Amino acid sequence: MPTYKLTCFNVRGRAELIRLLFAAGEIPYEDVRIEWDKWPELKPISDTPMGQIPTLEVDGQVICQSMAIARFVAGKAGLLGKTNMDQARADMLLDGGMDVGKLFTEMVMEKDASKKAEKKKEFGEKHLPPFLALYEGFAGDNGHFVGDSLTWSDIGFFNMMDFITAEYPGALDGYCKLNKVIDNVKSNPGVAKWLKERPVTNH
Amino acid sequence: MAPKYKLTYFDARARGEPTRLLFAAAGVEYEDVRLSREEWEALKPSTPMGVIPILEVDGVTLCQSMSIARFVARETGLDGKTRLERAQADAFVDELEELVPKLAGLLLFTTDEKEKEEKAKLLDQMIAEKFGRCEKLSGSEGHLVGNSLLWCDLVFYNIAYNIEELYKAGTLQSYPKLAKVYDTVKANPRIAKWVAERPAGIVNI
Repeated sequence: MPTYKLTCFNVRGRAELIRLLFAAGEIPYEDVRIEWDKWPELKPISDTPMGQIPTLEVDGQVICQSMAIARFVAGKAGLLGKTNMDQARADMLLDGGMDVGKLFTEMVMEKDASKKAEKKKEFGEKHLPPFLALYEGFAGDNGHFVGDSLTWSDIGFFNMMDFITAEYPGALDGYCKLNKVIDNVKSNPGVAKWLKERPVTNH
Repeated sequence: MAPKYKLTYFDARARGEPTRLLFAAAGVEYEDVRLSREEWEALKPSTPMGVIPILEVDGVTLCQSMSIARFVARETGLDGKTRLERAQADAFVDELEELVPKLAGLLLFTTDEKEKEEKAKLLDQMIAEKFGRCEKLSGSEGHLVGNSLLWCDLVFYNIAYNIEELYKAGTLQSYPKLAKVYDTVKANPRIAKWVAERPAGIVNI
């Protein structure tokens, strides 16, 4: 059995999708969390391929880049998609989500209060609704984005909306199929367990 | 009989070229559709996410350039031999992809001289960081990952081509392993043929 060691900051952030995938696949792993203030001293001596975290150590080999790691774990968990085409559709939906995710993160990280309020309004009115309408169209009646079973694109969507609904609570109201996707992810036994047990962090 | 794959993009290299390079390397026929601005505006509403490139195959339309490239890589056996190799290839692509909009932004969309200078400084920094990281991790035999051509080599080649040919020739001299990857792709007979024959494009990027 391979051993997995995930190293990231003590936040959900870029590692949470990976953690959700380990949970959904019921794959044990070491969840190493580094505090922000410790990173500057650890960085030069850490064995990170590109000097950044998260990293995943698999039997001594280190992989970097959060989405590359997530795709790797999704593969191990059988959540990539059944065919090449399904896998490509899952990739495509995740890529499409990342553009919106980037704008959201920029808004959250904005330090200037009035700029942040402006960005928050703009995101909520201009970017989020068309994205949700588009993805409601992509979701199947069965509450899955790809095929007829859970894939990492469902989990990726859930994870992103977990962050977004913290700032925009009613965002998913009325989106029947998207809510079904969310329910499917939340009711996966491994995910349900992780959601109950995971450390509570601001980001 | 019509080819199985139909790629639609602008008449440029940019985000369509990695997939074109893949088809070339694999020796797989495809329809290489290049749209004018007007044709794009007309097609846009019927595309999955209102962006190109798109790839049509077996009645399904894919979008998002790297998802398309990864799909074609998988179809043609150029994605990596093991899960680990595929993850390493993905990591190189994710690291390098951020250079694409920065390069295009500076070369195509910036006219003010002062702004150009500032953007160039930031781009140089980004290239140094990213090429530095990739140099550290790259294989030494002319391939980023493992010992054969993978899609990450082609993604890298496409970006490095624009840097060497349009921005700062000689950049790769500081990165010997990456330079070897570049030369290995360039020398691949199918790639060399495609590069010699490919349309110049309506814009050189």
